[in-house]
Amino acid sequence: MDLMTDTKIKISANHLNVFYGQKQALFDISLDINQNEVTALIGPSGCGKSTFIRCINRMNDVIDICRVEGEIKIDEKNIYEPGIDIVSLREKVGMVFQKPNPFPKSIYDNVCYGPKIHGIAESKDDLDAIVENSLKKAALWNEVKDRLQEPGTSLSGGQQQRLCIARAISVNPEVILMDEPCSALDPVATAKIEELIDELKQSFTIVIVTHSMSQAVRVSQKTGFFHLGKLIEVGTTEKIFKNPTNNMTQDYITGRFG
Amino acid sequence: MTKDTHIVKSYGEELQFLNDSIIQMGSLTESLLADSMNAITILDKEAVDRIVQSDKKINEYRAKIDTQIMTLLVKRAPMAIDLRITITALRISQDLERIGDLAKGNAKKMLPLPQNLSADLLKSLKRLGALVESQLNKSIDAYINKSKEIAVEIIKLDSNVNELTYLSIKEILSFLSKDTKNLEYATNLLFVAKNLERAGDHINRIAENIYYLVEGDYYKKK
Repeated sequence: MDLMTDTKIKISANHLNVFYGQKQALFDISLDINQNEVTALIGPSGCGKSTFIRCINRMNDVIDICRVEGEIKIDEKNIYEPGIDIVSLREKVGMVFQKPNPFPKSIYDNVCYGPKIHGIAESKDDLDAIVENSLKKAALWNEVKDRLQEPGTSLSGGQQQRLCIARAISVNPEVILMDEPCSALDPVATAKIEELIDELKQSFTIVIVTHSMSQAVRVSQKTGFFHLGKLIEVGTTEKIFKNPTNNMTQDYITGRFG
Repeated sequence: MTKDTHIVKSYGEELQFLNDSIIQMGSLTESLLADSMNAITILDKEAVDRIVQSDKKINEYRAKIDTQIMTLLVKRAPMAIDLRITITALRISQDLERIGDLAKGNAKKMLPLPQNLSADLLKSLKRLGALVESQLNKSIDAYINKSKEIAVEIIKLDSNVNELTYLSIKEILSFLSKDTKNLEYATNLLFVAKNLERAGDHINRIAENIYYLVEGDYYKKK
């Protein structure tokens, strides 16, 4: 398994600093994220890993006191440049959250909502095809194809999370951000999502925040360890779990932290 | 340096217990190897039963360590240094068990007892035995102290084991051509020499694993 061949950098953070009011949340983060790979971000609560991924689709813009310095490039283009269209950025960079958050609408409507507002589908047939395709990619189609008009909230937790993944991929993004997507799920639902992540990386670049080093090992090729707003170490996941360079990383992943 | 204590105290205790088990198993193997060399050189046939019993004990250690490791893997999903401690313990216990088997095999080889044996015959074999014993002793030290320096020293000395094995075999063969009344005994000694060399290989692997445990990377011969 050679992880270092034919990799293209999809996202590149350069000297990123993030402030919430007076408080600095991220310190000089520089991190490259490879295309068609899963990059895992680990670290204790409050270390800045969620703040970091929220910078990748400018979700932090909705927080008034949040200020971002430095740059994040996607395909070589700085997304913090003036004049960037944030709506199309978020079309390109989808997000899945910790708790499944389907809209209070039908399963079908949950998935076709994005394509509709982004004007991706021209006809009902197009929409049907997108819904089917997205649900198939999210490994949910077989379970819901006969109940597409039922509310999304009627599904189990794991199914709801896969519905959210289907919703994220329905607009044909290039990057999917996942903020602890399995933390509210049981082991079986977690296994299904992890299996899905592995398949999705063929079509998308995935950045996942997780508390579990074991999960990072199962799903990711590259891992970054954050602590107190700093990126302490980044490397292939194999290197990080076998023999991290930094003692702080080692103390965290072996449970010696604190 | 990494902190010694885990947040979950019992996890740290389990790793410590595994570490101690390896050291105990290593010490037992060390005594067994010394016993078996002693039995061969002073022709102590009473020792064979004792050696067989010790080997059984070593096998029990191996089974116990296996269980400890499986429990650790499932319960704790060890990472980094803890993962290396666990995996190398698995490998080292396998090598120690094999050394025990080889030493036991050697002790059994001294029968039938020889008649009017020339003292010279065992000279190289004794030196070989002493070297292998000292290598094993060093490997236990290296494990206790987690010393990659001692591990490297052991790896470098392995070629001496091979040379001495060759010398011993040559000596035994020359004896065989002259003294036909001890044919079976002397032939058995050839196996003893070969077994000692193989024990040396296992010790070499133990040293390589200790190096990996400490460094997180494999030793590369320059």
